Amino acid sequence: MEILDKLINVALIAATLRTTAPILLVALGGSFTTKAGIFNIGLEGQMLAGAFFAVIGSIWTGSAFAGVACGVAAALAFALAFAVLVVTFRANEVVVGLALNILAGGMTISLMKAIFGTRGSIVGHGIVGLPKVQIPGAQALLGSWAPLISGFTPIVYVAFIAVPLLVLFYNRTRLGLYIRVVGEKPEAAEALGISITRVRYTASLLCGLLAGLAGAHLSLGYITMFTENMSSGRGFMAVAILIFSNGDPLKVLAGCLLFGFADAFSLRLQTFGFPSYLVLTVPYVVALTALFALSYRARPKIIKETLASMQKLLSVDRNSAPVDKNP
Amino acid sequence: MVSNAPGSPTLHNTAAMAVELTGITKRFGAFIANDGIDLAVRRGEIHAIIGENGAGKTTLMNILFGLLQPDEGSIRLNGEATVVADPAAAIKAGLGMVHQHFKLVPSLSVADNVFLGMEIRRHGLIDHAAQIARTQELSKRFGLHVDPTERVGLLSVGIEQRIEILKVLVRGARTIILDEPTAVLTPQESRELFQTLRSFVAEGMTVIFISHHLEEVMEVSDTVTVLRNGKKVATRPTSELNKDELVRMMVGREVSFDRRPRAELQGDVILEVKDLWARDDRRLPALRNASFTVRSGEVVGIAGVAGNGQTELAEVLSGLRPASHGEARLKGQDLTTLTPAAIREAGLAHVPGDRMLRGVDRNASIAANTLMGRQHRAPWSRNGMLDWKAIAGNAGALIKSFDIRAQGAGDAVKRLSGGNIQKVVLAREFTNGADFLLIDQPTRGVDIGAQEAIHDEIMRQRAAGRAILLISVQLDELAALADRILVMFNGRIMGEVAGDDADEDRIGMMMAGVSPQLEPA
Repeated sequence: MEILDKLINVALIAATLRTTAPILLVALGGSFTTKAGIFNIGLEGQMLAGAFFAVIGSIWTGSAFAGVACGVAAALAFALAFAVLVVTFRANEVVVGLALNILAGGMTISLMKAIFGTRGSIVGHGIVGLPKVQIPGAQALLGSWAPLISGFTPIVYVAFIAVPLLVLFYNRTRLGLYIRVVGEKPEAAEALGISITRVRYTASLLCGLLAGLAGAHLSLGYITMFTENMSSGRGFMAVAILIFSNGDPLKVLAGCLLFGFADAFSLRLQTFGFPSYLVLTVPYVVALTALFALSYRARPKIIKETLASMQKLLSVDRNSAPVDKNP
Repeated sequence: MVSNAPGSPTLHNTAAMAVELTGITKRFGAFIANDGIDLAVRRGEIHAIIGENGAGKTTLMNILFGLLQPDEGSIRLNGEATVVADPAAAIKAGLGMVHQHFKLVPSLSVADNVFLGMEIRRHGLIDHAAQIARTQELSKRFGLHVDPTERVGLLSVGIEQRIEILKVLVRGARTIILDEPTAVLTPQESRELFQTLRSFVAEGMTVIFISHHLEEVMEVSDTVTVLRNGKKVATRPTSELNKDELVRMMVGREVSFDRRPRAELQGDVILEVKDLWARDDRRLPALRNASFTVRSGEVVGIAGVAGNGQTELAEVLSGLRPASHGEARLKGQDLTTLTPAAIREAGLAHVPGDRMLRGVDRNASIAANTLMGRQHRAPWSRNGMLDWKAIAGNAGALIKSFDIRAQGAGDAVKRLSGGNIQKVVLAREFTNGADFLLIDQPTRGVDIGAQEAIHDEIMRQRAAGRAILLISVQLDELAALADRILVMFNGRIMGEVAGDDADEDRIGMMMAGVSPQLEPA
């Protein structure tokens, strides 16, 4: 019981929110492209570029917020390149996305070598991290539960506020509606005189904006440093969540919270001396399993067919399965 | 112009006409889709445009709606000379068009779809409540029953069409063009649509609707314009017409009886169809109780206005559509239980009605197209491997014997003209040694020279003792080739006429649903 108390407490939940924020932001960014009918596998690269240039900007200007702006600008540049190649030149989106991911990885490493003469990571050099926002009155109101709403960096708040804003955006604004139409039925958009090109560019750039913020959160949020391949697959995890959620903001939130929780939980487990290699797989295993389970209903055809053929293979009779009501 | 008192008659009050098209000509390459067509549609009438597939109906309406630009001719809308540069201009001028293929977004609600592109907004946000209320109001007023809040993806085709009509209405259309609106509807839905159309006219709106179904034209229209081969045949008040006349205007009076000479050589029964029924894609009976035989050395023709069950008959006989009842025996073997490949093995050669869809792979070479369906057989393959040398050699021989105008066997089929593509299909199908040839619209969209050659080839196959079922909407083709002509209407075989006694009046009557033996259908 004592161990459980140490494992699961307010701090864990606060940590969950913190670890959820970057993947939530990048996944919400990807929601724009997913809804607009673009399979954007380049999220990882945009996020990594955002993280790197946020650090550079922070060092140059001495301001965390200017650093964030630099990170966002870098991610937007990647998003623009993606849009030019995919939308205007109709290149294959997977190839372009992968190429930009590789470019981001290589570019950050070479720039690090060129500017700082080091490999591995940038620490110190006067990096200014983001301040933590203390919400006044939180302590008085919630007591020991205050860390749940107070003391995060601004980007964490942005990430969670973005969820209801995106719900509103898709349901009540013209641009949001057009993004959905362009993704779902381009010929309908065309017939109504909606410019598919313009809508897809807009969606790509909105995606770059949020991916850049997510990157900046990684390098200027709770740790103020940049390391090689800092995004460590979060962009790909976001792509997985997007596929299963179809880009719906609320489903994206659920998927990201799950991943964030597993991430925070695995960090916790590490302090208990479990082998770290095993522990680090936890968030990915949990998220994938849950997404698979969630999508059983949403994507019945593929998965049900697979299960049906597996059943046939094992010749298991569903009807003969014993029903045990009383444990 | 300042002295114009309100209500005083203006000079150009020709506005009794909603639409006036004058001398509209449209060419696609050498093909003339519309040839000097004049059309005048009075305001407040239901004007039907009728004609067979390829008569130029849709082209004409696409020109009116600004989707195509005419090569010659002019357009007046409500008495004013207008250049309809694009659909946006047409919508602005009060036109609305409901296309055959709907463009709705499945995940959006009915109201969202109706208002897509012209959303009602309040404080910059889309006002769903107002959109729903407005959709509700319009749907009630015109009897277009829909639930504005429902997701379109869950609805039937008939309701989707109502949404498309509502889309046109909210954009302020006063003249509504419908392209084959009943093609996707059940009879019940069609009746409801006609009531809606009448309610439009009752409000002073104008309806133009394209169709090739005689009965609905007779039922719902005030005026009929008949098109044939890109030309206007006539415009007449519906009340002065009967179905029989309409059919003759559609298919043409000048049937040339250029009958091919032949020797009588009827042999054994090859195909025997008994009590055959089938449903169409809407699950409605499309082929009803067909029974007939085809003997070796005989050409049996199937006549009828397009869409009366001929397609379904061809699909059942080739294994592409299940029969719902009855049997079709090819040399004793029941086809209705076999796959298309097995039917071919049993002795069917099929020249499909839509050659680009089912006849050829347009991107493949002539050699590959002449191979299809027999790639597993010698001499085309040996030891499980294709013998491209033999294939190309064989294709070269076919190009020569069927007079296919091409550079060589390696030419992509899409580079050939319609007539030569059809010859590629014939070359493949007629050299399979099949006893039964199912030939559907062999000369559709084919120039005169190629038509002759194709007819020659069909007669050669007859002389070689094949049993031939020839489906055609062209009466002169049937009269030239067939030994017997069966006439189809509404899925039934109405009667039979001997080929050398092909009286167009009798055939026309049966095509319009009047049976010579029975009372009018």
